[in-house]
Amino acid sequence: MTNHDRYEVNFFKPLSKHAKGNTKLISILAIVWAVAVFGFHILLILVTTPTAEQTLNDFNSVWPQVVEDSSATTEMQQVFSRSLLMVLGKNIVVSENHKSVLKESLSWSVYNMQPDSVKAQYLLKPNGEIIQDAATYIGLSSNGFDKIMKDLLPTSIVKVNNTSLSSSTKEQLPEIMELYLIHNQSFLTDFKFLGFPFHYWYTAQFLLILFVVLCLIYAVAMDRMNKKHDFIEET
Amino acid sequence: MNKLFKTLYTLLFILLFSGSLFAQSATKLEGEFKLGPAIILIVLLITFILVGVFNRAKDTKTYWAAGRKISPIGAGMAIASNWMSAASFLGMAAIMYGSGYHGLSYVVGWTGGYVLLLILMAGQIRRYGKYTAADFIGDRYYSQGLRGVGAGLAIFISFSYCVGQFAGIGLMFKWILGIDYTWAVLIGASVVLAYTLISGMLGVTKNMQIQYVIIIISFVIPLFILSYKFGYFAWLPQIGYGEVISDIISGIAPGKGVTSMGHDFAILPSPEFAMPWDPATGQTAFQWLAICFSLMIGTAGLPHVIQRFYVVPRAKDARWSVVWGLFFICILYWSAPIYSAFGKILSSNPEVGKLAQDAIVVYTTQLGDLYPLVVGFLAAGAVSAAFSTVSGLLVAGASAFSHDLYYNIINPKATEKTQMLMARLGTILMAAGVAIIALMNLGLIAQLVAVAFSLAGCTIFPLFLLGIWWSGSNRAGAWAGVIAGSSVALVALIYFIGGKFGASLPYQEFINYYLNAWYFAWLGAPLAIISNIVASKISKNKTPLEIKKFLAEKVHNYDMT
Repeated sequence: MTNHDRYEVNFFKPLSKHAKGNTKLISILAIVWAVAVFGFHILLILVTTPTAEQTLNDFNSVWPQVVEDSSATTEMQQVFSRSLLMVLGKNIVVSENHKSVLKESLSWSVYNMQPDSVKAQYLLKPNGEIIQDAATYIGLSSNGFDKIMKDLLPTSIVKVNNTSLSSSTKEQLPEIMELYLIHNQSFLTDFKFLGFPFHYWYTAQFLLILFVVLCLIYAVAMDRMNKKHDFIEET
Repeated sequence: MNKLFKTLYTLLFILLFSGSLFAQSATKLEGEFKLGPAIILIVLLITFILVGVFNRAKDTKTYWAAGRKISPIGAGMAIASNWMSAASFLGMAAIMYGSGYHGLSYVVGWTGGYVLLLILMAGQIRRYGKYTAADFIGDRYYSQGLRGVGAGLAIFISFSYCVGQFAGIGLMFKWILGIDYTWAVLIGASVVLAYTLISGMLGVTKNMQIQYVIIIISFVIPLFILSYKFGYFAWLPQIGYGEVISDIISGIAPGKGVTSMGHDFAILPSPEFAMPWDPATGQTAFQWLAICFSLMIGTAGLPHVIQRFYVVPRAKDARWSVVWGLFFICILYWSAPIYSAFGKILSSNPEVGKLAQDAIVVYTTQLGDLYPLVVGFLAAGAVSAAFSTVSGLLVAGASAFSHDLYYNIINPKATEKTQMLMARLGTILMAAGVAIIALMNLGLIAQLVAVAFSLAGCTIFPLFLLGIWWSGSNRAGAWAGVIAGSSVALVALIYFIGGKFGASLPYQEFINYYLNAWYFAWLGAPLAIISNIVASKISKNKTPLEIKKFLAEKVHNYDMT
């Protein structure tokens, strides 16, 4: 054994009993740490599937009649308008471009439901009264989610430029609806724990608790190991 | 001296709880001078300076040893406030507010890194017994060149980390003083510079403990009030907000209360807030994992974090102070998502207008119609968080400049006095540079900080990891690792900055996605480690015996008999 080999430090080839224990301890903690953080999230990637909100199904069920062949009943127009409002209600996550497409479609749909006498005003500039009436036509009550949607109307109804939807809007709208209404879900996100969706609790709280516990275990185990091997850290 | 403190704290107390004189309408979110919060802020700053003056270290030796008399709990508090910055206080909630679950990768990344730091490095760094990160690199790899590179990296990392803090300070000064961002950054920068120069060499550790208490109390109080006010489990909001998250997913019908602007506390179903890598947020699962990983190894490679272990008395204390420090940090991190959740609901009405995302923590309390002085105290807490980190960073950067670059490389004959002068000069230069970059307003606070993390993860972390655990790693390997790590960083930064200025570069989209400035360490760090190992094996110039011996006997304490 040369001098060089005697002083060789290598995590995987510990030279003393104490170092062996240390290597084992660190390996165990590091594996627990990695599996808990990355293992769980890889599992989450594997099990989640894109799941649509009910709103998207509603939207898709009336889309052909409302936009493609204009054979929609008032009820269908209402469902269409509501589904657009549900997305506009997501407010902060919706990009400005998407918002304007949604607003244009909503105003157009409401315009179609209005009696002919009022329609002209949509082509100019919709006033407060018109917007109040819009709530009646969409069939929004003053309770529950309907009230939130009703409150959205003043900022959502805009001037209608054309009596039919522009082709770019027709193209973009279904994509926009899918973007905001499809979410990655699985049993891990549906299961509730302490009121949280499980995956959210796991990441936001449990992982942090685990980190503190891992550190605690390491500190205690090191103290014990040093005592056992009469290991004096400071010289 | 005690009398003085008592008077000061009574004053603070009175301000907080009887200050209806200073109360003003919370509905104006910004744009006016806020007297109450301004007074709280000034009282806090004066307190910090006075504490520094009264706990002054008599000489440099006691200054370094200041930590040696305090318990691991006290040292843990110092670690926590050194760590918790504007990015933790304001930035995390901002990212979760905008991108939901994606923001949790920052929460996990910034805490999980401490596990790595503790089990792989803390005790060994303490036993190595050097003063700065560059000292370790220069000695372990027996190279003045690497020492210079290490010092340069430490300065660069502290610098970009600092930019994020200055942006946060600017934001809060803007809110408190009602002035525009440019002036707010300039005033904030001058105040923090004056503060660091006056109290920089004084009772830093004591101050950090006080700052921790202020940061955590100011951050947590509003959460109890918000939870109580809107009918959630208020005894422990950190548990009670589970219901808030579930409510956001399924929607809240009006009737639970109103916001300060007269809107309902209500929201339409918004699962995008909590579902993993939601398409609506534009973030993918890969990005979640890459950010989390980069932040973790970055944490274990930050010079100002590593530097704290050189001053603890014993390796055992180093370990226990990390345990306590991480626990204290987690108290804030457990709480941060609550702000984003309430913020999401309270600002769901489009009429509230577009809020500056970075200040969402403060806006949430305003929209929740909390007592204005509680809001003011919160803003002052944000400033304390930034201050405690900035002073640590400026000291780390300045010591790399004066100790590593100037004293060890340029002028080894420099007297103590010249060194001090260089340290002060370094502090001022750095603060001025940081203020200029902060004025350019490049991105969100937390993301500005992430650049520093990725860079530390690519360069310093691999050097420490291999330097401590494998004596075969030699000078050639270290160079190879540093070059590999910094090339990845360079590519990422060129594309990032180029993109900001509208340049078009080859494969821009591909590089921007996989080597984004915020998480390029996922590739850079493994590459640096592999290059280091390969070059060390190939190189004929092996690690000198005395370094191996030092590593085995002093750092790992192997019994060689």
